[in-house]
Amino acid sequence: MRAEVVPDDIQALRRGDDSAFSALVRAHHRALLATATAIVGIDDAEEVVQNAWIKAHKALPGFEGRSALRTWLTRIVINEARMLLRKSRREVSLQLDEDQHPLADRFREGGHWSKPPVTWHDESPDGLLMQRELADCLSRLLLAMPAPQRAMLELRDAGGLEFDEICNELTITASNARVLLHRARTQLFKLVDHYQETGEC
Amino acid sequence: MLKCREVVHQADALLAGELSGRERFALRMHIIICRHCRRYVKQFRHLLRAIPRMHGQASESEVSRVMTAVKNADKSMGGQSNPSG
Ligand SMILES: [Zn+2]
Repeated sequence: MRAEVVPDDIQALRRGDDSAFSALVRAHHRALLATATAIVGIDDAEEVVQNAWIKAHKALPGFEGRSALRTWLTRIVINEARMLLRKSRREVSLQLDEDQHPLADRFREGGHWSKPPVTWHDESPDGLLMQRELADCLSRLLLAMPAPQRAMLELRDAGGLEFDEICNELTITASNARVLLHRARTQLFKLVDHYQETGEC
Repeated sequence: MLKCREVVHQADALLAGELSGRERFALRMHIIICRHCRRYVKQFRHLLRAIPRMHGQASESEVSRVMTAVKNADKSMGGQSNPSG
């Protein structure tokens, strides 16, 4: 059986092994594109990630493994994204939106569930990700999500950066960062819950 | 007594280990008696584990585009290495 996730071969990557590097690209490219899209927008994301890969390739021999590779790559993407924004004199603005809480309509006035979550059939991460249609629903939701929420989800949950680091890199307060992340996550929860109940997005 | 809505708001902090002992205790007590919130927290935790992997793999054409760009950059830079950052 073929393993779904090939662990990154750090030794081979440091040596500059081509096939290890293409495996790295295969595993992380989509996530990095999503991160860049949330910061600079879809038109410039590809360029940002391309430049990030070039930087990463050069820096890999010195990679010390103090953070996960995905986190390290995410940092390089943020740097490239900020450089591009500076060049084009734009700013990242991670403002809170005025949207109501994604699960607001699921509670009664007193704060108890009016419509509690259903039991998910296969709730394990593998189980969730194996369902092709659910995966499509999730990508559509990500595309439609306000960029600040999506940025937090990509940086914190997918990229593994700490809140402190995110707040330093992008102008945002810790409390706003938490609110944005919470909204992004509960939107995903709502979608998965709805899918488990109805089989539709 | 903690309300279900508050459990949802605090679940992120609970799973990140950011709640105080007192807050954690109140939340645990609620979860013991409320099966809806128990289910919410359990499924929410699984969902968070799935997020890093939800993007899937790049296509072969995406991979080869990156590899070409990396090779071209290598050539044009000669032997230089060590970017800042
Ligand atoms: Zn409850």
